[in-house]
Amino acid sequence: MSEQEQSTVAEPLEVHFPQAVTPDERKGYQGYVVATEALPEVATYARDELGYDYLSSVTGVDYLPEGKTEVVYHAYRTAGGPALVLKVQVPREDPVVPSLVGIYPSADFQEREAWDLLGIRFSGHPNLKRILMWEGFHGHPLRKDYQEVYFEAENKPFKNRWPEGKVYRVEEKAPLKKNVQYPPDFTAEGWVPEGDAALYAGMGQVVAAEGGNGRALNTDQIVVNLGPQHPSTHGVFRLVVTLEGETIVDLEPVMGYLHRNHEKIGERNTFLMNMPYTDRLDYICAMGNNFGYSLAVEKLMGITPPERAEYIRVMMAELTRIVNHLWAIGFLLNDLGAYFTPALYAIEERELVLDVFEAVSGSRMMCNYFRFGGVARDLPEGVLDVVRELVHERLPRKVDELDTYLTHNEIIRARCVGVGVLPPEDAIAYGMAGPVLRASGVPYDVRRADPYSIYDRLDFDVAVRYNGDVYDRYIIRLDEIRQSLRILEQVLRDIPEGEVQTGKPQYQVRVPAGEAYGRVENPKGELGFYVVSNGKPNPWRYHVRAPSFINLTAMGEMCKGQKVADVVAILGSIDIVLGEVDR
Amino acid sequence: MPTDFLPIAVLIALATVLAFLVVLIGHLFGPRRPTATKLEPYESGMRPYGPGQRRMPVHFYLVAMLFILFDVEIVFLLPWAVVLRQLRLFALIEMVVFIAVLLVGFVYAWKKGALEWE
Amino acid sequence: MDFNFQDPFTSIGELLRGLLLGWGLAPGLVSLILMLLGALVLAGFAMTLAGVFLTWLDRKLAARIQDRLGPNRVGPFGIFQPIADAIKLITKEDIIPEGAERAIFKLAPMLAVMSAVGIWAVVPFAPRLIGTDLNVGVLYIVAVGAIGTLSIMMGGMASNNKYAMLGAFRTVAQMVAYEIPMVIALLVPTMLAGTMGVGGIVEAQRGGWFIVLAPVATLLFFVSAMAEAGRAPFDLLEAESEIVAGYNVEYSGMKFGMFYVAEFLHGVTIAALTATLFLGGWLGPGAQQFPLLGLVYFAIKTAFVYLVISLIRFSMPRIRIDHLLAFNWKLLTPLALAAVIVTAIADKLAPALGWNRAVVHLTANILLAWATFEALRAYARGIRQRVEVQPAAVETGGAD
Repeated sequence: MSEQEQSTVAEPLEVHFPQAVTPDERKGYQGYVVATEALPEVATYARDELGYDYLSSVTGVDYLPEGKTEVVYHAYRTAGGPALVLKVQVPREDPVVPSLVGIYPSADFQEREAWDLLGIRFSGHPNLKRILMWEGFHGHPLRKDYQEVYFEAENKPFKNRWPEGKVYRVEEKAPLKKNVQYPPDFTAEGWVPEGDAALYAGMGQVVAAEGGNGRALNTDQIVVNLGPQHPSTHGVFRLVVTLEGETIVDLEPVMGYLHRNHEKIGERNTFLMNMPYTDRLDYICAMGNNFGYSLAVEKLMGITPPERAEYIRVMMAELTRIVNHLWAIGFLLNDLGAYFTPALYAIEERELVLDVFEAVSGSRMMCNYFRFGGVARDLPEGVLDVVRELVHERLPRKVDELDTYLTHNEIIRARCVGVGVLPPEDAIAYGMAGPVLRASGVPYDVRRADPYSIYDRLDFDVAVRYNGDVYDRYIIRLDEIRQSLRILEQVLRDIPEGEVQTGKPQYQVRVPAGEAYGRVENPKGELGFYVVSNGKPNPWRYHVRAPSFINLTAMGEMCKGQKVADVVAILGSIDIVLGEVDR
Repeated sequence: MPTDFLPIAVLIALATVLAFLVVLIGHLFGPRRPTATKLEPYESGMRPYGPGQRRMPVHFYLVAMLFILFDVEIVFLLPWAVVLRQLRLFALIEMVVFIAVLLVGFVYAWKKGALEWE
Repeated sequence: MDFNFQDPFTSIGELLRGLLLGWGLAPGLVSLILMLLGALVLAGFAMTLAGVFLTWLDRKLAARIQDRLGPNRVGPFGIFQPIADAIKLITKEDIIPEGAERAIFKLAPMLAVMSAVGIWAVVPFAPRLIGTDLNVGVLYIVAVGAIGTLSIMMGGMASNNKYAMLGAFRTVAQMVAYEIPMVIALLVPTMLAGTMGVGGIVEAQRGGWFIVLAPVATLLFFVSAMAEAGRAPFDLLEAESEIVAGYNVEYSGMKFGMFYVAEFLHGVTIAALTATLFLGGWLGPGAQQFPLLGLVYFAIKTAFVYLVISLIRFSMPRIRIDHLLAFNWKLLTPLALAAVIVTAIADKLAPALGWNRAVVHLTANILLAWATFEALRAYARGIRQRVEVQPAAVETGGAD
């Protein structure tokens, strides 16, 4: 769909860098292959001259047969339009790529992830260390020659870390007991994770472990862990903060506690088997995740779902958005210390929407409802009436109710207005997505900027707020719920009769070789799936551009100088789900 | 009258004894299986870095000092408040002047930024 | 001796005294024993009331506010839930973290309970049913209340835990600061009654409750006492979403239970004090003749105020520390001082003009409240102007 537009854009880039930039001519591939050393130059040009100011996704692909590793960049214009896809190919033995953090700060976490999982070193990255796996982990699991420890590897887990060790307690009872080995002087209590010492040391040089910072008249700075076991980190997420009194001096997010290497699992599964796994990414919005993955694979397969299925998909996606925003508002208030009252009010409505999900898919949260070229089954009888009642009667009333109770509350205003401000240029640079980006005054919504499904036919506004603080991020969610209701009204009005699946339902889909990047405006932001197929039943590469994960890039920036109480509010306003952050 | 305080002493002693007894009961009935990990101070599941007892940041001393200032003034106000009815107008004017002096100090502290939390 | 059903407390006391004297005990010893008995009843009453009934009521109320059912398994309507909780707490392991100051750590929860119960010694439950009518009752309330602050600081600082320490820091800032407006607000009923004795203050409200004569002071006392007790929205010292549980994060088993009871008791204490000092305490029709009726009035008023506190707790988010202190120093404290002066002047003015005392006081208070609102409104206008300039500047940079 975007070939022509891309070629008009492409000329300047090719003309400008005749040596360094060549179009990617492999079958089923798009974009440009850029010479490694020219990458920063090309990226700067693309950002400043061509207007690709928003670097959405950075990831790598390990092409083992060709003996090379490819780094793939997807950049967009915030004004809208298709992607600029840049690729850098390096030998897979020692992949070194210049870092783009200086040009696109949003590359920060994503490059760390690529280093962590694929072993691609980004020269010039300010903080290139593991992000999802723990410090001290051996190997890079997404490399194709990586052998999974329990099942494939010769060397069993931990052996490489503690040679000649002894088996201990829990593992004693495990069937694979000989696999775990500790050194003789190892005790669980005495063990300090390697990464932590380095982390603490980096958290402000003035802090000495004994307390005191050498400056007699100054007050102590203390390093405090908020999380992983903390009530308001929304899961096992950890923030290491340096405090001076109540004020944040330094902050570093640490994640990966829920890491299960979703992408590796995805590469082992067949395309369709992967669908239920996407439910587990952002488990609040399973339907939205299904949508993104379906789009990516359908792009590869070159099919489009029938009309009715498109309407059902949009209906589910918008209901998901309502669910997610209700949840987000409720728990933001919880983080502000409102003792669950707003959260429970919001969750009550969420339950009603989950009833709909249960009716159509059989499951309230892990829906697994979408299929390539349609949805799993048609709507059961009566569901449309239930949705109609919700959309026309119940939800608008309840949204107004939340609005009345919360929006003008003096304490909420005092806690939220002017807290965690993110100016629009920073929001774009950090690759923020979804409500967080739009609350900063950037009217960028994938549904409008790069329409998919039937969104180009629907009448709705992109909600924008301009202050970029916690308050605007709260209020924009109310706006978006209202817009979603507007979309749902049109969907309910126009939904046609007909098939819900192109062709016969099949367990094994044939996916031609090539690459595709499918993205949707998930409630938390732009959710992208980068899928590479080599014609086999399972994907060669399956990457998730997780909005929660990338939205955390700006966390440190937003929190510095704020109070402890603000940190939880800011985190709540970003609205993360750890299933998606850690994947 | 010192005898007035006797019931208070009795009550407080009793409350303390009760509290002590309850804690003791808990001590007797509860299990005791300490492990090194269990005895670690809680810091969101991480091993704490550095000691848990630190010097207080200087803001808090400022608050404490303001407190002392006001508390002393209030001690003067209390007996005055009790007998205000019996006193003549002069006592009222006197106390207004006193509070005015206090307010001057208060305004000074305000302008100096002592009341700002930064 | 006849048993007087109209005034059972005095009668029971007299009965017991006669009985004990009849056994040949020395009068001094008899007084002490009676006192001990009274204290036992009082402490037992306070603890069971707070620990069982009010915990249950509070949870039920919270549940209703939040669209839930609340405890409904143990006993009818779940009323024995707190007892089940207490049994659970008793059988929990008592953990003292490594590196804690053990003595202080153990002492803190007991001090907390002691201070919360101690205040009840001067609260008149009904006519003649009062632990002791101190002539410095108000001062006593303040002093004993401060011990509670101390206990929280001790618990927080002794735990060797950073969250607890942050909680203790906040305690210093919050509780210490809010004591000022609270005490100043207490001056007003003192002044109106002409005595610091709590019994005397109740008696002085026969002509009219002090909430009518001094609404501003009532509100000031209520708000600052809530902050003093660390009830939401002023629960910064144990802010669950920020510093997990603040000062009591390391406490387990019955030591935690003590803090829990103390916190509840403190809430009830505020309610009781507000009821006593401003809502006429046990006063009500027929209370003089039937002290039991007085007790009922007192309980109803206390419960009412307590439920208001709970209602606020479950409907407001937490306020931040800088706002908390600014609210105290820049609004409550000056306003409290102004309220004292206004009351004093009105008190002198009323007889001089020969007007009705209540009218003069009420007018003065309304004037004061109006002036405060005007000042706040002007301040808010200033802020709003500053805020409203901002988005325009941002907009030009951001939107395409």
